[in-house]
Amino acid sequence: MIICQNICKTYTHGGGRKQVLDNINLTVERGDRIALLGRNGAGKSTLIKLIGGVEMPTSGTVSRHMSVSWPLGFAGGFQGSLTGYDNARFIARIYQREYSHIRDFIEDFTELGRQLKMPVKTYSSGMRARLAFALSLAIEFDCYLIDEIILVGDYNFHQKCQYELLEKRRDRTMILASHSTELVRETCNRAIVIHNRQATLYDDVDLAVETYASL
Amino acid sequence: MTVSRSNLQKLYDGWRVQVRVIHALMIRELHTRFGRENIGFLWIMVEPLLFAGLVALVWRFAKGDSEHGIGIVAFVVSGYIPITLFRHGVTRSVAIFTANSSLLYHRQIKILDFIIVRFLIEFIGGMMAYVFIGSILIYFNQFPVPADIGLFIAGWLLYALFSFSLCLIIAPLSEVSEAMEKFIPVSTYIMIPFSGLFTLSAWLTPTMREYLLWSPFVNGMEMMRKGIWGDQITAYYSVWNPIACSLIAAVIGLALCRRVRRTLAVA
Repeated sequence: MIICQNICKTYTHGGGRKQVLDNINLTVERGDRIALLGRNGAGKSTLIKLIGGVEMPTSGTVSRHMSVSWPLGFAGGFQGSLTGYDNARFIARIYQREYSHIRDFIEDFTELGRQLKMPVKTYSSGMRARLAFALSLAIEFDCYLIDEIILVGDYNFHQKCQYELLEKRRDRTMILASHSTELVRETCNRAIVIHNRQATLYDDVDLAVETYASL
Repeated sequence: MTVSRSNLQKLYDGWRVQVRVIHALMIRELHTRFGRENIGFLWIMVEPLLFAGLVALVWRFAKGDSEHGIGIVAFVVSGYIPITLFRHGVTRSVAIFTANSSLLYHRQIKILDFIIVRFLIEFIGGMMAYVFIGSILIYFNQFPVPADIGLFIAGWLLYALFSFSLCLIIAPLSEVSEAMEKFIPVSTYIMIPFSGLFTLSAWLTPTMREYLLWSPFVNGMEMMRKGIWGDQITAYYSVWNPIACSLIAAVIGLALCRRVRRTLAVA
């Protein structure tokens, strides 16, 4: 279970202030697959970062009662100047996993071959997505935070995610920020629409998608 | 099922996680900074080595081979290696959170780890450089065999402790204000006379000495030099000055770190 209580987030830069989230209350149950919907800049990534503990809320608390992945997105989580293998070694060290096990898994899942010996900054966004998913799947989290990135992959990657994440790890929790209403309808059982700093939780995904489409 | 654990157990687990994280971050930092080519991580001692070695040579030719009866090369080396630790530590702390922010995606990595890791690297580099240059100079009779190695190490540790505590303040401040960054080179430069680099307190007038002994760096430096030259010199120091100053600086620094972490925006 993940509980967000009265979360507010305000960014300040120089003299400017921008409140992104205002008093969000959420409870994510084990096994939930929650879609995060909202327009660009509505605060989807911010909420994911707060749940993942990457950033801290201005006020309010997030409590996690299961292991939560780092946000899998376009940025973060990797050191660009290090190779794919070095990043895997680093992740294995900080999450206390067997490196050889992780290496085998990412070689198989990413199909990146020799590219894993190149610095991550030379990867395309699709290749980064493969590596990020492979590493987090190898570590086995209870809850996966996915920020858009699932869409950048090719057909083969989608098939793999479908199998590894949605079928083999059916019992896992997922929070998925996405603009793909098709993907959301297929995979999620609940949805959150973020608009005007507020978050509304819908148990009916179709209704949430309609609301989002009308924003 | 709920598993209840004692607070002591939690503290111990947290400690183990941090040790592991610091180990992983050290390896990563050494890779990204020095690469794996040629001498690799041994580069960490090259900079302090060159600095102390070349400056000592210049002094040797400018001022002759001894001052107040102690060897000038040894004196300059004993001053420059610690100040290099301080200056590099401080410079490396500037904007350290922003530079490493992509690592904050992993919750077990704390911002404090960044400061610890970078400082440890400078600390180890400085120590290796000291041992290296010291051994060579001792072999050529340019450096005395330390009279009291314990006192020397204690002085080095206190000097490092205070430098580290300052890093704890500078790291969060540099995130809040960019102007801060501009002031650091000049303030570390102005710091030099107050660091005990060029002088032994015994060479100063009593009033001057009294003022300089407020500086934790001078106290640490006096301890190190007393540890090296022993009865050949008179040293003035208080062990408590660097300890107290470090404690105060660390408390302020930790509070600032905590505050800044809440507002840190991670791309």
